Amino acid sequence: MRDAPRTFDSVLLELIWTRLISIVDEAAAALVRTSFSTIVRESHDFACVLTDARGHSLVQATDGVPSFLCTVPRTIGHFLQEFPPETLEEGDVLITNDIWLGTGHLPDITVAKPIFLDGRLLGFAGSVAHAPDIGGRIRTAESREVFEEGLQIPVMKVVCGGVMDDTFLRFFRKNTRMPDQTLGDLQAQFTALDLMERRLRGVLTEHGLASLEELADEIHSRSERATRAAIRAVPDGTYHAEVLTDGLEQPIRLQLALRKQGDSIHADYAGTDPQVPRGINVCLAYTLAYTSFAVKAALCPEVPNNEGAFRPISVSAPLGCILNSTPPAAGANRALTGHFIPPMILQALASALPDQVIAGTGSPLWSLNFAGTRPDGTPIANQFFMNGGYGASAGRDGPNVLSWPSNVSAAPVEMIEQGYPFRIRHRRLRKGTGGEGRHRGGTGQEWAFESRSATPVAVTFMAERTKPEAAAPGLAGGRPGTPGAVLIDGVPVDPKRQHILQPGSVVELRTPGGGGHGDPARRAPEWVARDREDGLLKETQP
Amino acid sequence: MTASLSLGIDIGGTFTDLVLLDPSDGRAVIWKESTTPDEPARGAMVGVERLLAKAGVAASRVGRVVHATTLFTNALIERKGAPTGLLTTAGFADVLEIARERKYELYDLFLEMPRPLVPRPWRREAPERLGPDGTVEKALDVAATLEEVAGLVAQGVTSLGICFLHAYANPVHERQAAEAIARRFPQLSLSLSSEIAPEIREYPRTVTTVANAYVRPLAETYLKRLETELKRVGIGGELFLMLSSGGLTHVAEAKRAPVQLLESGPAAGALAGAWFGRHAGLERVLAFDMGGTTAKLALVDGGEPLVAWGFEAARTKRFLRGSGLPIQIATVELIEIGAGGGSIARRSDLGTLHVGPESAGAQPGPVSYGRGGTEPTVTDADLALGYLNGDFFLGGAMRIDTATARAALARLADRIELDQPRAAFGVHDVVNENMAGAARVAIAERGRVPQDYALLATGGAAPVHAWQVGTKLGIGRVVCPPGAGVGSTIGMLMAPARVDRVASFNQALAHTDWAEVERVLAALQADAEQVVRASGADLAQRRLRKLADMRYVGQGSEITVALPEPLSAEGVLEAFETAYRRLFGRTPPGAAVQFVALRLSVAAPMPGAGSALRLETHAAEAALKGRRPVYFPEEGGTLETPVYDRYALPAGAQLDGPAVFEENESTFVVGPGARISVLRDLSILAERTA
Repeated sequence: MRDAPRTFDSVLLELIWTRLISIVDEAAAALVRTSFSTIVRESHDFACVLTDARGHSLVQATDGVPSFLCTVPRTIGHFLQEFPPETLEEGDVLITNDIWLGTGHLPDITVAKPIFLDGRLLGFAGSVAHAPDIGGRIRTAESREVFEEGLQIPVMKVVCGGVMDDTFLRFFRKNTRMPDQTLGDLQAQFTALDLMERRLRGVLTEHGLASLEELADEIHSRSERATRAAIRAVPDGTYHAEVLTDGLEQPIRLQLALRKQGDSIHADYAGTDPQVPRGINVCLAYTLAYTSFAVKAALCPEVPNNEGAFRPISVSAPLGCILNSTPPAAGANRALTGHFIPPMILQALASALPDQVIAGTGSPLWSLNFAGTRPDGTPIANQFFMNGGYGASAGRDGPNVLSWPSNVSAAPVEMIEQGYPFRIRHRRLRKGTGGEGRHRGGTGQEWAFESRSATPVAVTFMAERTKPEAAAPGLAGGRPGTPGAVLIDGVPVDPKRQHILQPGSVVELRTPGGGGHGDPARRAPEWVARDREDGLLKETQP
Repeated sequence: MTASLSLGIDIGGTFTDLVLLDPSDGRAVIWKESTTPDEPARGAMVGVERLLAKAGVAASRVGRVVHATTLFTNALIERKGAPTGLLTTAGFADVLEIARERKYELYDLFLEMPRPLVPRPWRREAPERLGPDGTVEKALDVAATLEEVAGLVAQGVTSLGICFLHAYANPVHERQAAEAIARRFPQLSLSLSSEIAPEIREYPRTVTTVANAYVRPLAETYLKRLETELKRVGIGGELFLMLSSGGLTHVAEAKRAPVQLLESGPAAGALAGAWFGRHAGLERVLAFDMGGTTAKLALVDGGEPLVAWGFEAARTKRFLRGSGLPIQIATVELIEIGAGGGSIARRSDLGTLHVGPESAGAQPGPVSYGRGGTEPTVTDADLALGYLNGDFFLGGAMRIDTATARAALARLADRIELDQPRAAFGVHDVVNENMAGAARVAIAERGRVPQDYALLATGGAAPVHAWQVGTKLGIGRVVCPPGAGVGSTIGMLMAPARVDRVASFNQALAHTDWAEVERVLAALQADAEQVVRASGADLAQRRLRKLADMRYVGQGSEITVALPEPLSAEGVLEAFETAYRRLFGRTPPGAAVQFVALRLSVAAPMPGAGSALRLETHAAEAALKGRRPVYFPEEGGTLETPVYDRYALPAGAQLDGPAVFEENESTFVVGPGARISVLRDLSILAERTA
């Protein structure tokens, strides 16, 4: 085996890089297919990553959601602080779900396995996935502290030299409502780690490499150069944006100053409102992930995901603000705040890059969560997701109903009715809800769930942009999308609170429309005619 | 003289491949005709007449015709189907447009989602409702339904899909609606979800039903026309259609559910791979087909291509999962990669060498074609490396220019800071890695290892690349069958009649009503066998498969499991867990198992399907055509390599690599350290010795 430095020419680098990507993709596919968690399977709420020995990411699986951009390597960095390389051995697996060291909410469990070759630490296989259940309150924004949200796992070795920590497993089983499925998913993560370990060793052996360092440097420096080149094309300056969310009793203000200088970008969230005693606070890791996602989507969607690609992007937010929460702030529903970050970044960039951005989307991701009992008295619970309309842009209307910035499907109506005590009365486009503009925002949708349960069921929601001030903003003169609404038996209710649904009651979820783009007066008459034909105009419109 | 010959017609985008086979002795004659896209039957018939003339055979001797076509897929892709309407349960007309809500690419802010096949004004709702177990919760309002349909007919709709919620559990309302509509509008073509794809999940079921409605009028006209034309030239034999599943069916079934034919061309290719593999004595084959723009891989286990129970049609981004329309139809499982002879090599934004998926196609084509192409392609690299012979491309019918290929590669080499030979082999190597990578993942996803398979190369470019793709995968045996250029057409002629049927079946394994399982399977079997019998296949030799889609309660995706005989809860559980472990390596503790659907598949051999193939051979003394320098990476340079006319090599011949085997449509390149033998059917088998 060669140990001497070697250079990677453009062919060898392409060959090995392609292989590494296919390794993490294969691991991701295995994780999805063995997972019990709906949210992993349908929502691809997970990530698989290979890093070098420093914990710097080399490749991240193509599939997944933005929440995990940059988080796994960051968590591995925390692992390394507590367990320096000399304390690691072959067959170890490290674990945590600490929200500040991890991803911002407890269900996400990060694990990492050090990979050795001939006794030398090569790097890490890392994975994070959303567990079926982590104990605590059923996903709600009502928690006031993280302690209410479930079991907290400190940074620790869950597997030590190939031997599973039995004490951990017993504690863990005792603290989750679904021990078999949750532990089954943890096993699935271990399977993914083993697969990455085996494949990585194979590739290195095949190409006669004894370490990843030079390969990593090559991947990082090339990716970093590509990101910097894309950033350089943006005019220097500071770009501002401010958004209001529904918040709680009062709207919550998020404030952004995006400073672009030369070939780097810094997102400063100074001026953002403080954290709140509810589960909608965002840890800095999540702020960083969604900031990086939006910058990449706007400037350099093609650059591969790795440490180098994100080096030119930095983030700051005052400690204790809702985008950089401090313990013991709760964060189970961090998406209700965090999903506002990408639209805010695009809004800020709009003046500099009018053709590279979209208007506000009918995000965040919405859901109906319910918990009740079956006729035989056993508990039954689930969460059903749905999305709003997409933002319009300089070139086209926003698509109707599309998940963004997250990427989560809704469950089929037939599957919901087969498994749960509901009849869906309708699931349809919500007409007239896309913001008007030269290009119209995408319309939202509306669902009506009728409870067929013989006993009352508790329902909570993930719902935002229900107040006019939080509507998805338009761009370049386009109008905002219509806000969403949650109604029970025809009466609007506070979507941040838990409600009890009586048998036969109907809960309606109406998701927000996306923002429009450009002056509505400039909309082509044939497009207006087509909207009329499609029945997508508001009834009051001519 | 009896009408004993079989005629295969495979209409592709560019060429229509034809083959005439005498099943009694395996003799085959091949013809290639240009496709006439405006009216595909015309080009096909020209080809038929020319093929018969070449073979010197009277039309009356053709006993059966087997046909595959990309016509229906193209109609979907180009959105050139019939004006189609959709009738749904009240409250759900937008299911078709809301789709999956999920992006197929995370970072593209402007990604294009597939357009629904039916625009909103043509999606109408019927007052009716079934519960998830199929009970009628609200009776169908026939009068209101007819009124909606009348509105559609007035607007010019000629084909209608009907998809009601939970119709997989009970077809009653769909049938009631269809009967009333057929009485009132007899000219309207109807497709019912309960007949086309009776599976739970309303979005893919609706799409499949609508896709069928969309191509059905076209299929009826086209197939009628083809039948008439065949009769006109004097072919009295019956017409059969190739299904996406790799089986054949008769014309009436094809007209009823043409959505089953969408992938008929690629299925034929996989079938050819399976057939040649069987004749080479190989149980497990990775069929590898590489043409100008794409490479396709299909896994063949136990002599049959693997079949998936759904696929994606008409993708807006060809190689991206999730960008197309989900079609719930049994389909030979194919992995498609943007890698072909025309794939363009470029410097990526990161300074590495990228190959494909952009393709120079046939026009302008590779630089060496001299038709205006300026960017080097895989074919140009293959030529520069000595794998291809500029003077014997397509059997010498076309001259390609090595010097211009080298010049283009030299320009690329400059941009990626390499010398020209390293760049040329880099192009070859990177495209091979792309294909090997896709194969690795596909094989791993099925719980297998590449070493279990032999690689079987068909199509113009696969034999050039197969040896080195095999090296990357650790595959020790590579086979190049004869007639590789028209392999898929030959595959069709060997295809059995086949029917796949599915019924939803939502029961927990622990509480299964086994009599009900038997009853459902018996009903599927009766229906399937009736179609197979009507195809004229030999039911006495039928192969019957009973399968089930199953999962752990709480999971969202199923795996398909072969049901054991006799049926028992323990036996089924064991089959399920064995399959699950093979795929995923482990089973979760303590989880309950459920059925989601029952499946049945019947395949029976067709009379006239040949058992061996004999192509025209050349005189053995002319086998060695010469030598030329060929690049082999393990040598770090070129080797003077013998070049053979493969049709002059007799069965039983033994050689050592390196060697190059030329035929009109392709070139098989084998590296040093290979033991090569010519098999009985003239397939060339190369085995790694090291």
